Amino acid sequence: MGQRWLRLNKTMPQREFDITIGKDGSVELTVKGYKGKGCLEAVKLFEKIVGELRSEQKTNEFYEPEENVQYRIDQRM
Amino acid sequence: MSAVCILAPVVIAAWPAFSAAVMAAAASLGYQVAADAAAAKSSEVKKQAGQVQLEMANSEIVTNQLGRDQRIQVTRDGVTVTFSRDARGRASLCVTGHGMKDAALQAMGEELSQRVVQKYVYQKLLDEMRARGFVVVDEQTDAQHAIRLKVRHWEG
Repeated sequence: MGQRWLRLNKTMPQREFDITIGKDGSVELTVKGYKGKGCLEAVKLFEKIVGELRSEQKTNEFYEPEENVQYRIDQRM
Repeated sequence: MSAVCILAPVVIAAWPAFSAAVMAAAASLGYQVAADAAAAKSSEVKKQAGQVQLEMANSEIVTNQLGRDQRIQVTRDGVTVTFSRDARGRASLCVTGHGMKDAALQAMGEELSQRVVQKYVYQKLLDEMRARGFVVVDEQTDAQHAIRLKVRHWEG
């Protein structure tokens, strides 16, 4: 029985950001399209642009496996 | 959805970017740019019936033009608001108006000050996101004057 590892990378994943700039300039940011901790980099980018992070709420997708996942496929020879 | 977060704005700007935000905010609230720096300074000397001084929190106006008097003045309904950079580099505004109570002047100043921050954040976000290849696919302003942007980015 031979074994082969196959690495699957999704190409050009789409990220979506809903941004609400309140009348006092505070920003509510909703990050969509990330699985796992990849969204933290996006939040850091907006933190750098806008200012201080006041609160953060992680959704269920945050705890899902990241997108670059290795799949193991067993082949019978 | 992956995360929802709230960010508090910090205004760190050179004078041109800051004054552009002031002009955009003033126009959106019906103010008119009153005068250049020299006229603004001379009018400040006049005795005003009501005057309130406000400081914009979390702001820093960076400049390499030390000693140069940088200010911008806008007016509406007899009320004059003068934005300037104070000695510590913070943005401050002086609101003056004849026959108006301090509380009313303060409310007008705070409204305009908040709008300036909103316009500054809006422009900075647009500039930074476009530079990184983000695409704004929808933009709306709601009844509470909040600006809603829907932005997409493709990573590869």
